[in-house]
Amino acid sequence: MEMKIRSKALERFTEATATLVNPEIHRWKKQGGKVIGYFCSYGPKEIITAAGLLPFRMRATGSTGTELADAYLNSINCSFCRHCFNLGLRGEYDFIDGAVWLNTCDHVRRTYDNWKRYVKTPFVHILSLPKKTGQPQVEWYRDEITIFKESLEKHFAVKITDERLWKAIRLHNQTRRLQRKLYDLRKREKPPITGAETMAVMVAGTAMPTAQYNELLEQLLHEIGDLKSGIHYRARLMIVGAILDDPAYVDVIEGQGGLVVTDMLCFGTKMMWKDVDEGASDPITALAQYYIAERPSCPRMFGDYPRRAGFVRDVIREFKVDGIIGERMLFCDNWTVEHFMMGKEFKAAGIPYLTLDREYLLAGVGQLRTRVQAFLETMGR
Amino acid sequence: MTGKELQRKRLQKFIQERDVLHAMVEAFTKSPTAEEKLYRMLTEVYVDHHNEIIRCVEEDKPFIASYFACAPEIYTAMNLPWYTFLTPAFTGAILEPVLEAEIDASEKLFGKDFCTILRIAGYYIEQDLAPIPTAIIALLHPCDGTTVLHQIIQTNEEWRNVPMFAADPPYWEDERSIDYYAGELKRMVSFLEEHTGHRLDMDRLQETIKESNKQYELWMEYNELRRAVPCPHGYGVGMQAFGVAESFIVGAPKGTEWFKVLLADAEKLVREGKGKVANERVRLLWFDVVSLGWSFDLFPWLEEEWGAVIVMDMFGYTPYTLIDTSTAGSMFKGLAKRALFDVPMVRQARGVADNFLSDIRRIVKDYKIDCVIWPGHMGHKDGAAAVGMMRETCREIGVPFLHIGLDLFDKRYTTLDEIKDRFSKFFTAMGLG
Repeated sequence: MEMKIRSKALERFTEATATLVNPEIHRWKKQGGKVIGYFCSYGPKEIITAAGLLPFRMRATGSTGTELADAYLNSINCSFCRHCFNLGLRGEYDFIDGAVWLNTCDHVRRTYDNWKRYVKTPFVHILSLPKKTGQPQVEWYRDEITIFKESLEKHFAVKITDERLWKAIRLHNQTRRLQRKLYDLRKREKPPITGAETMAVMVAGTAMPTAQYNELLEQLLHEIGDLKSGIHYRARLMIVGAILDDPAYVDVIEGQGGLVVTDMLCFGTKMMWKDVDEGASDPITALAQYYIAERPSCPRMFGDYPRRAGFVRDVIREFKVDGIIGERMLFCDNWTVEHFMMGKEFKAAGIPYLTLDREYLLAGVGQLRTRVQAFLETMGR
Repeated sequence: MTGKELQRKRLQKFIQERDVLHAMVEAFTKSPTAEEKLYRMLTEVYVDHHNEIIRCVEEDKPFIASYFACAPEIYTAMNLPWYTFLTPAFTGAILEPVLEAEIDASEKLFGKDFCTILRIAGYYIEQDLAPIPTAIIALLHPCDGTTVLHQIIQTNEEWRNVPMFAADPPYWEDERSIDYYAGELKRMVSFLEEHTGHRLDMDRLQETIKESNKQYELWMEYNELRRAVPCPHGYGVGMQAFGVAESFIVGAPKGTEWFKVLLADAEKLVREGKGKVANERVRLLWFDVVSLGWSFDLFPWLEEEWGAVIVMDMFGYTPYTLIDTSTAGSMFKGLAKRALFDVPMVRQARGVADNFLSDIRRIVKDYKIDCVIWPGHMGHKDGAAAVGMMRETCREIGVPFLHIGLDLFDKRYTTLDEIKDRFSKFFTAMGLG
């Protein structure tokens, strides 16, 4: 990805995103730090941080094939999961000291089952994530987080006190606030940062020590806050979807003249649009409330489509979005239906909506360019 | 059109379905075999049930849409008629060209890789081909597809105002999970009482579950007989048993009678040493739904060509514990456990992969299985990702494993000839048959 801004902070973020085990992770490990991978944005990373461990959002950056994973998973399984599992089988995930899953979707939960059997990660845990967002589900997830906390404490011989947990919550909330500030800059008529660059910043936030990330992000905000951008664009776009961790994909879209100004992605607004309530009486309840009922939800959350659609409507207005690109990993049922519903709703409201199916690795760039180009033209841009 | 006229229009496919089932009843009536007499008994139930729904629509009486995995014992106890969105994909197999056209049309809405049976259900909703019920009890497991199907319903213009409840399924089966799900079922009952006006009487629930327990006891006894060599019955009967015990006549005396007839026939065959196939050479575990479409060609071919009998299938398996009916609490807990961990497909696919694997181990041992077939339906993404583990489990227990990769409802996905070829090569390579 070619950076349009000159920024040391952005360089560090880009580097952290471009490799799986980035220099920040190396430094952390060298200092004796331990790393816990987590496979979904619903994973309560605050618990990991409170344990003194580094939460690392698992990706398959750098993967080139799934030849090992395909002996266990299948061609009708999500390529993100296949690539991640393949990296695990190749030993590329030997740097993590533990991994935590949730039963997010059919592909992810079976990745857990396979990982547990065939990859030698010392600590492996899975949380039962509810499929609804009501109070009984918050209470259920509260118990699940507690079980996870106790499991982590036992394995790593640490004590996660409320005090440490509140500290971790405040730290991650700070990340969320800083990231929202970054997104605020993209509301401008001339945003100082592209969608691809923003993605690098967001992915990096899941791949380095949080305090260090926050410092770098503050630095970046300082560097670009007053920047008058020269980015020319034909249309302001929003990307809606799930696992998109590759700035190069966004680069291809933006190469056609569409500027991605916002998103609803797992490595995007879903991670940071709301804060965990720091005024709650109990930190674990605060976490459960945040993850189940507050943050923009995943399509696997039954009955929450109106809230998700409402979030997209609000964001369209705030960021003056001209059109939506919905990306979907092939074989993802959750996003098949989400794009069906959103496409219907937003097209009826006069918001152009393009659905793009993809595999995890960027391929078919020519076709992608053509489709985006045609989309922009149908928008009259 | 008035609301009533619209409902009648939506009933048309349902009425066609009823007529198809009625034709099947007539066909089975002409058959001399005891097995097909059993099919007739159950198909008559489906016809009656369809007529009941049609009557509810015409007389504006409450009825709901739901599923076998949502504790239907409660619906029987509440005397609440219900239907399921999933039937069209099954009965559509009788009129393949019509089904294929609907599959193709559904692809235009939802794409190719969404499970066919759910896609057709979604298509029926979007095209106004299903009667709008008083309320819906949605299913959120075993797969992603079931959850999102109900979100389609919730956003459809005509259906969005239909009250809908879904019990949230925990991922585990421990006491805590069972208590949690029992709580969800109680909330489901409150919802149904509020929206249908039907009340749940605990004595009636107790009666229903006691009858249901009898059905499970008989079913388990019957399944003991399927361990016999040769197996007394072939494909299809397991699905039929499931249809009786867990569908529209769950907990009804009619269902218990059906099981008695089934058991009597199986006992007779085992005493006489007779099997479904005169020369039984291969005993299969078909680890998925025995769909109607493949029942017309693939499964008979297996029996005739290879002497290969489906001794056990996913829906015919009965790892059930009987429900303690002594208190309301024990009944709700029992229903929760049954819904989470006993009913087929939900049992295996809902939670961790060990559920698939432990069933394979158990069934292979108990039923003297010669080979395990994972059909690999295109909608089973979780199962697809468990293929490696299933293969390894079979290797450990020394039984051949075949993964096909097909569509249980669309025969164009993998054709009959391709599947026959796979089976033939598999049996030959494994020295079976």
